[in-house]
Amino acid sequence: MGQPVVQTIHRDPALFWWILLPITVVMILTGILRHYAMTLLQSTPKKADLPKIRQQRSLTRGVNLRANANVISSSSFAARKAYMVQAYQEGKFLAEPEQRGKPRPNPMSDPAAMEGMMGMMKGNMAMMIPQTLIMGWINAFFSGFVIMKLPFPLTPQFKSMLQSGVGTRDLDVRWVSSLSWYFLTLFGLQPVYNFILGSNNAANQVSQQMAMANGSGGGMMGPEQDPDKLFLSEAENLEVLEHRWILEGIEDRLVAKLAAVSV
Amino acid sequence: MTHANLLSPPSQIPPPTALALSQKAPLILSTSPTSSLPWPLSLLFSRETPESWTIHENLFLSALRTGDEASALTTLERLEARFGEHNERIVTLRGIYNEATAQGNADLEKVFDGYEKILREDATNMSIRKRRVAVLKALGRTSDAVTALTALLTNSPTDAEAWAEASELYASLAAWGQAIYCAEEVLLITPNAWSAHAHIATLHYLSSATNNTPNLVSLAMSLKHFCRAVELNDSYLRGYYGLKFVTSKLNALLSEASSTSLKRNTQDDDDVPVPSIETVKKLEELATSKLAGIVRQFKSGKKGWMGYDEAEIIAARELLDRDAKAVR
Repeated sequence: MGQPVVQTIHRDPALFWWILLPITVVMILTGILRHYAMTLLQSTPKKADLPKIRQQRSLTRGVNLRANANVISSSSFAARKAYMVQAYQEGKFLAEPEQRGKPRPNPMSDPAAMEGMMGMMKGNMAMMIPQTLIMGWINAFFSGFVIMKLPFPLTPQFKSMLQSGVGTRDLDVRWVSSLSWYFLTLFGLQPVYNFILGSNNAANQVSQQMAMANGSGGGMMGPEQDPDKLFLSEAENLEVLEHRWILEGIEDRLVAKLAAVSV
Repeated sequence: MTHANLLSPPSQIPPPTALALSQKAPLILSTSPTSSLPWPLSLLFSRETPESWTIHENLFLSALRTGDEASALTTLERLEARFGEHNERIVTLRGIYNEATAQGNADLEKVFDGYEKILREDATNMSIRKRRVAVLKALGRTSDAVTALTALLTNSPTDAEAWAEASELYASLAAWGQAIYCAEEVLLITPNAWSAHAHIATLHYLSSATNNTPNLVSLAMSLKHFCRAVELNDSYLRGYYGLKFVTSKLNALLSEASSTSLKRNTQDDDDVPVPSIETVKKLEELATSKLAGIVRQFKSGKKGWMGYDEAEIIAARELLDRDAKAVR
């Protein structure tokens, strides 16, 4: 007697052909369209000019020297350290030596930074406009339809996720409404896009948002950072580095290795 | 020998491989990756993949190496049609083609002027800067090439390729100190490259060999770097070859020094300690046995041992033979 009554709803088979399939197809096509729109909208990254390249790579050279200092002899390291520290402290590699010591200008006034922000805006637009349109379309035509039944039972917590747009309290959680199907495809189509467009596609907005969160803040030489400060701190790092030569006593090490192998 | 493959050619292509690669030209050139249909259809029916252009680029270089200039030109024209003549990479490829087909110095000068013009427009084109150095080298103006290269390196000091080239150029001018400095820069960028270690070791050895009095410190440095190269890659033929070479030199020097009771104190205060004669002897034994092993395995054609360059094997055998004769 405790058996819950299995809800049966007789659905029109046309629901599948006229709602479920169109939503899915439209979502996939939107993703593909978005991918190509993003590819078209992408502005080629602006080329850095020579002093900027030099400034950035000189800093990288210092970082390399610090990270791999143990491969060169102490005299070679000392010579390099002396040169690099002095050049860093004098600001020899700076792209704009006259800007030294002055506060950085507001990034908003920098045209290059503005361009980057425009690119981000474009990306946002390409995500938001189709989303709004499709959600409006679904709301206008298909709201309130129950279009499929999941083949497995679920806990009631999934009700809000699977039955948005259907305000029925007693309906089994396994029934999925059209609006919920839209949300499911919105977030779940990434593998399909990977299959169609290759793994490096710009179709999914979730990956986009992730890239945006990570990408805009990073960059060793972002416009908001003062290169002079970076150089000075790198000079300090080099100064305090304790140098150990990896080739010290290598002959004995090799002989010991040989002995260990032959035994 | 590495399998001939146009997608990822080995960095050093031996002549037979290059020939095998360039012989694929007719097949690749017979089908165009871009479609000849009008615009919307061409998108659907194109056989173009990202790889097809890598293949074209590598085919171009192989064809130039083997003197197949007609195929090279066809390939280049396809690349130009696809990416435009002003693409940075295409400009460089066009430059390489012009250099390879240049007849005499006058043509090369013309190519050089072309590079100068490109660089005046866009000073950040590093590959054109490198081509410029290459032309200067081909013209025999080594000191000019060094100047051009140092200018490149001031602007881009993280370029291992450029540092290595600078090291070679300095070595060809017998400026050993500078050559070693540049080689050390390469090592700072690629700290675990055994070939870079072997290169420094060779430079140290050469610097001591050109001096009239053999320099113990240079030899010791050379020994250290060869040891490191072998430690990083324990089947590195060149490393063992160098190790054997340097240890035999050091052996002679050290035994001579001990017999004439030469003051070692003059060397001791330097930061490179001279290794003891026992260690050197042991290392020489190690290098000899390893070299003999490699040569033997190569001769017997064992699988997994065939990756060595035949010329290097022959050189190693000769060194061993010479050694054996000296013993006899």
